[in-house]
This record gives sequence, C-alpha cells and structure tokens, in this order.
Amino acid sequence: MADDFTPDFRLRAAYPEVAAAEDAIRAGDWPAFRACYDAVPKWQGRQLIMGAANEVAGSETFLKSVIERDPEDLVATTMYANRLINIGWEIRTDKRAKYVSAEQFAAFHKYLREAEQILIWVCARDPSFVPAWTNRLATSRGLELGQAETRRRYDHVARHDPHNMSAQNSLLQELCPKWHGSLEAMHAFASERAAAAPPGAHNAVLIVDAHVEHWASLPNTESETYFDRPNVRQEIMAAAERSVLHPDFDRGMGWVYPMSMFALGFCLISEWTLAKRCFLELGPYADDWGWQYLKGGAEAAFIRCRAWAMERG
Amino acid sequence: MIVQTVIDGIPTLLAPGPGPARGGITFRVGRADETLGRAGITHLIEHLALHRLGVTDYHYNGTTGATVTHFFSQGSPEAIGEYLTSVCAALRDLPWHRLDVEKEILRTESASRSQSPIESLLLWRYGARGYGVSSYPEWGLTEITEDDIRAWVARYFTRENAVLWFSGISAPANLRLDLPSGTRMPLPPLTSALPKTPAWFCGAPRVVAFHSHVPRSAAAQVFTSVLERELFRALRQEGGYSYTVATDYNPIDTELSAVLAVADANPDKQEAALGAFIDVLAKLRWGTIDQSDLDAIRTKAAESLRDPDSEANRLPMAAFNVLIGSPVLDSKQVLHEIEAVTAAEVQQVAEQAFTAGLLQTPNGRGADWAGFTAAPTTSETVVDGVRYPMRGDNDHALVIGPSGVSTIGPGGPATVHFAQTAALLIWPDGGRMLIGHDGMTCRVEPTLFPVDAGTLARLDTAVPPGTTVHLPARDPESIPQPPQSSGTSKPAAARSDGQPAGGPRFRGFIYVLSTVLGVLAGFCGMFSLAASLKLFTDPALDYDAGTKAAVLVLYWGGTAVLAVPSFLLARRLRRRRPQP
Repeated sequence: MADDFTPDFRLRAAYPEVAAAEDAIRAGDWPAFRACYDAVPKWQGRQLIMGAANEVAGSETFLKSVIERDPEDLVATTMYANRLINIGWEIRTDKRAKYVSAEQFAAFHKYLREAEQILIWVCARDPSFVPAWTNRLATSRGLELGQAETRRRYDHVARHDPHNMSAQNSLLQELCPKWHGSLEAMHAFASERAAAAPPGAHNAVLIVDAHVEHWASLPNTESETYFDRPNVRQEIMAAAERSVLHPDFDRGMGWVYPMSMFALGFCLISEWTLAKRCFLELGPYADDWGWQYLKGGAEAAFIRCRAWAMERG
Repeated sequence: MIVQTVIDGIPTLLAPGPGPARGGITFRVGRADETLGRAGITHLIEHLALHRLGVTDYHYNGTTGATVTHFFSQGSPEAIGEYLTSVCAALRDLPWHRLDVEKEILRTESASRSQSPIESLLLWRYGARGYGVSSYPEWGLTEITEDDIRAWVARYFTRENAVLWFSGISAPANLRLDLPSGTRMPLPPLTSALPKTPAWFCGAPRVVAFHSHVPRSAAAQVFTSVLERELFRALRQEGGYSYTVATDYNPIDTELSAVLAVADANPDKQEAALGAFIDVLAKLRWGTIDQSDLDAIRTKAAESLRDPDSEANRLPMAAFNVLIGSPVLDSKQVLHEIEAVTAAEVQQVAEQAFTAGLLQTPNGRGADWAGFTAAPTTSETVVDGVRYPMRGDNDHALVIGPSGVSTIGPGGPATVHFAQTAALLIWPDGGRMLIGHDGMTCRVEPTLFPVDAGTLARLDTAVPPGTTVHLPARDPESIPQPPQSSGTSKPAAARSDGQPAGGPRFRGFIYVLSTVLGVLAGFCGMFSLAASLKLFTDPALDYDAGTKAAVLVLYWGGTAVLAVPSFLLARRLRRRRPQP
C-alpha cells in the first residue's frame, strides 16, 4: 500500500477553484480567471488562486497583455509582480546565501526591485489590497529592507485580514535567524498569531513551522534530540488541538498546508497515531513546505514518513 | 492690502495690522551668493552692521538666509526708524576694529549651534556652490579682508538691492537711509550635484528627509501641506515610527519652489519610517488625495489669511518677492488661489516632486528598490599625473596632475579639478583638502603621501583665486597617520577623505555606536548630576572633601568614558560627502 503511494503537491489537485484558475490562465482567458477569483470570498483563497499563474510557464507574458488592456487591473498587476518575484527566487534558489553567486543575487535583486516598484503602485492605488502587501513581504525579505519594514508591511495585511496565513508564513521566514531574525522573535510571533486565531483555524500551524525552522537551523548534534524536548512536544500537541484536531477545523481553501505540516510535526515527535490520522485526512494531497528539510527531499521524505505512520500508528 | 511706495530711493512695502509695529530692510544677498572660500561674509557683515546698536531697549535682529538678509525690529515707530537708520549708517561705515572679534563670535556661534540632521541635504543636491554653500561651515571667515567686505557691501547692500517694509500706514518719520547706489542683483544660479533624479543618499541616523523642486504655485503649497498630513498619519498615528514630521515650502525664484519634508524615526523603526515615507510619496502620486485634507488645509489657510495681522506678517516674504521681481499678492488673492486648487493639481505636483526628488535615508539604508538612484559618492574620472602611494597601504594612492587631484581607494576614486575647486583648505601642519564644485573632496596629507613642499605650494597657486582658506591648527589627533606596517588593520583616518572606512554601512554602524554611547552618557550624566547635588546638599551624607572628590571623579569620569568616544565618533561623521 505505502510503496505505490505518491503525494500530489500541486494546489490544483486539492482545490478545484485553483485548477479552474490555472486552466483559464493556460487558455489565456482572463475573464474566466477573474470569474474564479471573484467566486472566492476570502483573501487567503484568492491568494491561492492568484498563485496559479506560477504553475503556468510564461504566464507573465499573458499577464502583461492583460495589464496593457486594462492598466488599472490590480489583480493582474499583482500577479505579474508575483511572477517576477518567483522568477527572481528561482534564479536565487533556496540555498543559503553563501552558496548563491553574485550574479544570481544581482538578477534576483533586479527582479525583486521591479516587482516592488509595481507593488508600490498597487498599494498606492488601493491600500486595502491585501495580496499586494503580502507580496511586498517577500520583496522586503529578498531585498533585505529590514525587519521593521517587513513588519510594517505585515501590519498593513493584518489591518484588513488579521489571520492571513500566507502573510504570516512570510513574516515567520523573515523572523528566522537565517534572515537576520531571532529564534525568540520567531517563536513569539508564531505563538501570538496562533493564539489570536479562532479555534479550528489554520494559523496554529505556525507553531510547527517555527519548530521545524528552529530544528533546521541547529547543528546535527543538537537537531537529533530537538523534538524530544518536552516543551516542543507540548507546544505542537497544543497547536494541533487548536487547529487540525479541533472539531471546527476549517476545511476551506488552504487546509492542506496545516494538515500536511502537522503530519510532519507528529512524525518528528513520533506521535504516529496522530500522524497517521493526518495522512489519512490528506488522502493524496500534500504540501511540500517543511518536508524539503528532510533527507531525500520533500517527496521521498513524505512517502517514507507516511509509510512509517501507516505501520506504527 | 500691501501698499508699495518708495522711500529714499528704496522700494517700500506698507501693510497696516493690529499687532505691534514692525519694520525692516531686506537685501537681496545671502549665503547662496557666497563662494565656499569666502563663506560667511554676509553673516559677518550682518553682525558688524548691528554692533553699534549694542544692548538697547528695543527688540531687533538680523538674519542671513540663502538669498536674502533681513534686518528687522519691533517697537515704537521712532525706535524702528532709529534702528534702520543706524543699520544703514553702519553699512556705510562698518566698525573695522570689531572685525576679528566678530569673526571669533561667528566661529563660536557656529560651534555651539546644534547640527541639523538635514544639514548635508543641500550639499548633496547643489554641490559646494550656490545654494549648497549653506551646508558647509563658514570657512571663509579667516580669509575675509576689509577689501572683500567693502566690495561685498558695495555690490549687495545698495538702495537698488533693498526693500523696506513696515506694518502701518506710513514709514517712521525719523527714517534717514543713506545707502550707496548699485544694481538689483540677480539670484545665484541653481547648480546641481545630481546627475539623475529621483536620487537618494544616506544621511544622519534616525531621520528621513525629502527635498525637491516644484513649479511655484498654490498647488505646490497645498501639496506640501497634504504631504505633512499624510506623513503624520502614516508615520506617527498609524505606525508610531516617528514622533515629529515637518514640511517646508520655500519659493526659490519666480518660477520654482523648494519642498522639504523631514521625519524623525524611532531607532528600532528606521526602516519602517523610510518605507512608510516612500509609500506616502507614492500615495500622493497615484492614490486618492483625501478631500477632507484639502478642506482642512483651505480652512487653515483661510483662518491665517483672514487674520487682520496677516498682511503685516507676510511683509518679509513680500519683500523677497519684490527683490526677485515676483508680484506681491494680497491675502485675498492668495486665499483665492489656494481655495481653487484641485486634487488633480496636487497629484500633478506630487509627480513633479517625486521626479526631481532627493531622499535622505537613515541607518545605512538605500532606496534603489523604490526607484531612486544613488547620488554619486565617487568621481567618474581620475586625473593624469604623478602617483603617490599611501605609506604602508598599497590600496590607496594620491594622484596630482596639472589639471587636478585624485584620491584612489578600493571604493572608487574622488577627483577635484583645479578649475572646479570650490575651496582648498590648508592647515598649518601642511595638510590640505580640496573640495570640488560637485562636493567631492580630496585630501592631500603629507603624513600619508610622500608629497614634497614644492608640490604642495604648487597646489595653492593652481586653484582659482579666492578659493584657498588657511585654517587654524588642527588637533594633533585629527592629523591622519599612516597605518602601522606591522598591523593589517587600516586606521579609519587613513582614508583619502578622512571618512570612516567601509562605506555607508560602516558609517551607519558608527552612527549607532555613537548614539548608543551618547544616550548612555546622557543617562550617566543625569545620574551624576543628581548624585553630585545630593552629595553637597544632603546633610545625611557627611563625607570629607577627599571622599566627595573621589565620588565625583568616579561619577563624572564614568560619564566622560561614554561621552568622549560618542562625541569623537559623531565628529568623524559630521559632514560632507562620504567617499569610498
């Protein structure tokens, strides 16, 4: 059973709304895309829909043609900027800064600066347009504009959407030591936003995210025992009670990420029964975030851990 | 309504108002007319002209601005008449015996004046000429001679180059103005040190500032007010990144005005203050101009312009307008123009302001990410000539050629051409610093470079006349020394320009260090003060004199340990165009 399992990390697999949006972009049909976008009421879902453009190679050319027809289309403009950020980040790669060449950094910064200036315009046109501010968290981090500036941008998102998962993930990255943050600041932010979210919301997953980041930042000698620490186990368990294990867990758009992350968290603290429950809830769907830190890469690690959970849980 | 007339050949403005009687004379001359090599001459003349008035019962003063110098007084019409008569008589017959003392007073005045966090802004925009001269110390004082002053007075302090103004229906009867005849002087040319705008440079810590040129108009005035309101909202009310925001709208000539906006920044939030500032500029260009802001600005303008004293209050500005050939409007017209400004017009000014803007960033931060170009910190060319490597440091060199001087370092070259020299500072120890029209500096330090006396002397004759400035002896500590051959670290003073090594980021670090030490020194000082007072006033602490002395040395010594390095670091950073 476990040996023939392959997780589907694609957003379109879990969310038909995203699939429809992606198909619309692939077909070059902007009105169809806008219909998908407009049908989703929450910012979090809309941001997932907008991200569909990243699954279509060359979608930036299509988005540019949409903007040329309607320069005031903030959705298309923000998606175009988001494509530039993604292209820039692909050039930079996810490697630690010391493994990234000067040329890669130069190209990365060039794409991010272009995206940032487009997003400054969008935010000036409509200061309440949450997706633009969310993208500006990424440009701020990549261009290293400073923690205070990234925080200001997060505060703009939070003013209109206090539990925006993407923005919180992005700020959590900024608060990581690898981006000049600190472990204390990172954990504090995760706890604060987890506690502020309503019961059953996705946001408590930030606690797992923070622990995984903490663990990944440690030298091997310390990381081996990190998840044996009682406080780490306790915090992950309590976070799960507030989200994936809560009776009111939100199965709306975005649910795969917390479920997948908690599956990882439970595996790491050897809570195999709970891990199995998460894997079963996920079915074929998964989110690669977090898993990429494990040996063999996200897919291999996910399959391996899932097999163990199925066996031991 | 402002009435224009002529008294003793001088254009005169009269505006009745209920406030106390005020009157003054304004000359079309200021620091922007000076050269860097004679900087301070207008201020010196202002001081000399006021000397004979000594300590008197009435309230008077003089101010030297960028392009106008005002002498003004408040009191009875007779006292005002007497004051202005005396000022004009003094300009005809200056108290030469006071020359050295007044120079010394000016030096003391400038040393005691707290440094403005935006002092260097004008230097970055205009360079070391014209409107940029205000950024520099009054270096010319040591060189200014009686002849220089006579020539300056004859050129600028004349009937044709002056405007009188009085609050009241007539001028004081006892006025006797005996000024020489001359011509109305044109405004100094508007120079630029910025090849490309919008530009940015890294300035003082904990300050974000923006300076721009916009067409002179009521819309530009309203834009400045909207900018202040938006900055206050975004930086203080919403974010708490700043405590104070301020703006200034300042006409330059008949066509152009300067807009300035400054915000302080919470030390932990400097990047956010910069980001929010940039977003406010974007909002005014592209977002919605709040109608309630426009209404509030109109109401405020109406209140101020309907004040019965408003015409009288506007007299100094009206005098400036007469001197530059700009029409003098009455309050009603000004208000009418302000009330007619639309949101679209404000937005248009915002676009112009951004395009011509210069942004001062804090904390070693840049603004390329927001579409600003870095203002130049290095020169594009190096002169041909003899190369002098720095003693004990092969990365740095000095080049002296027939056309100018360059310093070369890892961060890039700095070049000053003799023909474009604004000032050549000379210290008694032989050290020299050339400052180019563009604000670039080159230091020729015999301690660092093997330059012989003959070459040094040739420098002094190669620069244009009136640009050499012999300064008093330097503190021996500030004479740069070559790096020790055994050590690998280079002393900061070995930089070609006397700036700390490592570029803006390193400067930022020094700012932070200096500030932290300064704040600690402040606390320590307050504590020491309180403790010292207690030591002498609290009867319960009955120590002998020796113990008291020891305690005082301990407290104040501790303060000094913090304050001295803070001061020295701050002094390193004081000024000028940082170079690589």
